[in-house]
Amino acid sequence: MSVSPPPTPTYPPAIEHAVAHISDLLRGDYALSPRTIALLLLQDDPEIWDEVEAQESAGTLERIRTLKTELEKAGETPLAWQIEHQRQLWSQQIAAQVTQATRPARPHTLADWIGWLCMNPWTGFPILVLVLYFGLYQFVGVFGAGTVVGLIEENLFGEYINPFVENLVRSIVPWQAIQELLVGEYGVWTLGMTYAIALILPIVTFFFLVFALLEDTGYLPRLAMLIDRAFKALGLNGRAVIPMVLGFGCDTMATVVTRVLETRRERIITTLLLTLTIPCSAQLGVVLALLSAYPLGLAIWAGVIALVFLVSGWLAAQVLPGRTTPFYMEIPPMRLPSLSNVLLKTLARLQWYFLEVLPLFLIASMLIWVGQLTGLFDLALRALTPLTQLLSLPAQTSVAFLFGFFRRDYGAAGLYDLHEKGLLTGNDMLITAVVLTLFVPCVAQFLITIKERGWKIALAMFVIAMTVAFGVGFLLSQALGALEVQVG
Amino acid sequence: MRRQTRAKPTVLIVGNPNVGKSVLFHKLTGRYVTVSNYPGTTVEIARGLMRYRGHEFVIIDSPGMYSLSPITDEERVARRILLRDRPDLVLHVIDAKNLARTLPLTAQLMETGAPVVVVLNMMDELERAGLSIQIDALAQQLGAPVLPTVCLSGQGVDTVKELIYERLAAPHADLPARD
Repeated sequence: MSVSPPPTPTYPPAIEHAVAHISDLLRGDYALSPRTIALLLLQDDPEIWDEVEAQESAGTLERIRTLKTELEKAGETPLAWQIEHQRQLWSQQIAAQVTQATRPARPHTLADWIGWLCMNPWTGFPILVLVLYFGLYQFVGVFGAGTVVGLIEENLFGEYINPFVENLVRSIVPWQAIQELLVGEYGVWTLGMTYAIALILPIVTFFFLVFALLEDTGYLPRLAMLIDRAFKALGLNGRAVIPMVLGFGCDTMATVVTRVLETRRERIITTLLLTLTIPCSAQLGVVLALLSAYPLGLAIWAGVIALVFLVSGWLAAQVLPGRTTPFYMEIPPMRLPSLSNVLLKTLARLQWYFLEVLPLFLIASMLIWVGQLTGLFDLALRALTPLTQLLSLPAQTSVAFLFGFFRRDYGAAGLYDLHEKGLLTGNDMLITAVVLTLFVPCVAQFLITIKERGWKIALAMFVIAMTVAFGVGFLLSQALGALEVQVG
Repeated sequence: MRRQTRAKPTVLIVGNPNVGKSVLFHKLTGRYVTVSNYPGTTVEIARGLMRYRGHEFVIIDSPGMYSLSPITDEERVARRILLRDRPDLVLHVIDAKNLARTLPLTAQLMETGAPVVVVLNMMDELERAGLSIQIDALAQQLGAPVLPTVCLSGQGVDTVKELIYERLAAPHADLPARD
C-alpha cells in the first residue's frame, strides 16, 4: 500500500517555510486563504501583489520581498515552476491511485472514425465544404434568408404590420420630420425594427441553430484543429475559427465573440478579417443575387476574397507586435446532439443577440434620419462618386454602396435595378460584389467594433476596409480589362 | 462577515473550458438566467437562481479556467469572482477522463480555503474509454465530496442539488466559518 498524499500538495521545504512565514506576516482581509495569497505572491501574481501592497505595512512588504528573493536565489528553477511541478506530482499520484482500467479501450467506434475524418486534411476540407454548403448555404441562406424571410418580411411586415403602423403614426404625429424618423423610408420602425425582426432575426435564428448543432456534436473543436495550422500563418490559432464561422452568420455578433480569443492582438486581427473579408449572411445574399447568373464571376469573387483574407491576415500578423499563442483544446468525442441543449443554446444566443445588436439597428436608423435631414448623405454620396468612377462603374452605384452600409438589401435592390436597365455589365457586377464584400459589413458591425475595440482601432479598420475595398476593386477592374476577361 | 448581509447562498461553478459547466448551470437553474458582462471586462458570466425544496440559491457560471494563476481574461474574471463574490460553495466541474490534469486546479481551489465540491462529470465517456474511478477513495484523498455526473443527460444532477441544499440551507446546515 502506498501512503496517502495529504489533501493538498506539500511543496519543497524551502517554499513551505517561506509560505508559513508570509502567512504569519499577512494582516489584511483577503478572500483567499493566507496560504494561497503567499503562494501567489511567490509566483509574482500582479493582481495579488497589488492587493497585498494596498493592505500591508511597508515593513511587511519588505520582509516578504526579502523572503522571496532569497528563495529565488536558492532554487535553480523559477518558483512558479517548482510549485506547479509539485501540484502535478500530487495530482498524478492521486489519479493513479483511484483510476482503474475496466477493459481495453475501444479504439475505433463509428464516432471516432467520423471525428478522425473531420480532422484529417484530405477528408476534413471536403467535409467542411459540405457543412458550409448544406448547413450554411442551403439551410441558413436559401431556406432561412430566402423562404422564411420572404414570408415574414414581405408578407407579414410588408402587407400587414408596417402599413398599419405607418397609418397610425401619420395620423397621430403631425410633424413630418418626426413621421420620417419613425416610419419614413429609413425610419426607426420601418428600417430599424423591421430589419432587426423580420430580416436579421430569422437569419440568425437559423444560423444559431446550425452553430449549436455543430458545437454539440463536437465538430467545431475538430474544425479548429483542422484550421489551426493555416491560421498560424495569420497570427491566429484554431480558437479563432469560432468567431470566423459565426461571421458567416453575422459579423456584428462575431465581433462580440472575439472575446473568446486570448490576446488583444488576436482579437484585433480577427476583427479586421471579419470586417474585411468574411461575408455575413446578408452580404452573401447580395453577392449571390448579383452573381448567380455568372458562375465564372462567382468563382473569381471567391478567389479574390480568399486571397485578400490570406494576404491581409498575414500582413496584420507581421505588423502587429506579439506572438501567436499556443493552441490547446480538449477534443471531446463526437456525439449525437441533444435537442434540448441545442434549443437552449440557440435561445440563449438569440436573447443575447437581441440585447446587444437590436439597439444598434435603432441607432443606425436614427443616423440615417440625421444624415438625410442635414444633407450629410448628399455629401457622402458626392465623396463616393469619384471612387465609383475610378472603378468605371455608373455613378448610381455609390448610392448602393452608401445604403448598403446601412441596409444590405437596399443596396442589392438598387444594383439589381441598374443591371435590369442594362447599366451594369457582368464585370461591373463582379467588381461591385467584391467591393461590397470587402467594405465594412454594416453600421452595426462598425458600432460594435467601436464598443469592443475602441474608437481608434474601429476608425483605422474603417479606413483600411474602405481603402482595400476600392483598391482591390480598382486592381480587379484593371486586371479584367487587361486580360480581356468577360464574366457574362 | 459578508454572508450575514446576503440573503441567498451563492454557489460558484468553476472548471476547465468544455467540461460541462454551462450544461450543469442550465440544469441547476432551469430558465432563471441573466447573462452579464463582469464589471470592467468584456467576459460574460451567467447568474441564475436554483429553487430547491423551497429555498433559493444563486448559481454563478464562471468562464473556463485552467489555473488560479490567470493567463487569459476569462481566467482573470473567474478568479475575480472567487475573490470578490466569496461564494459559499465552489463546484469544481471535472472531465472525469482528465482527472490527473485537472486535479492541480482542485488543489489550488482547496488551498484558497473555499469549501470545494468536486463534480466528476462525463462519467459515461470515462466508461467508454474503458476506465473507472473509485469515487469514495477520491473523496477520501481530497477530503472533499465527489459527485459523479453525466450533466448532458442529467444523471447525478439531483445529487448535486441535494448536496447544495444540505450544505447551505438544511436546518442542521452548519456553514463553515471563513476568515
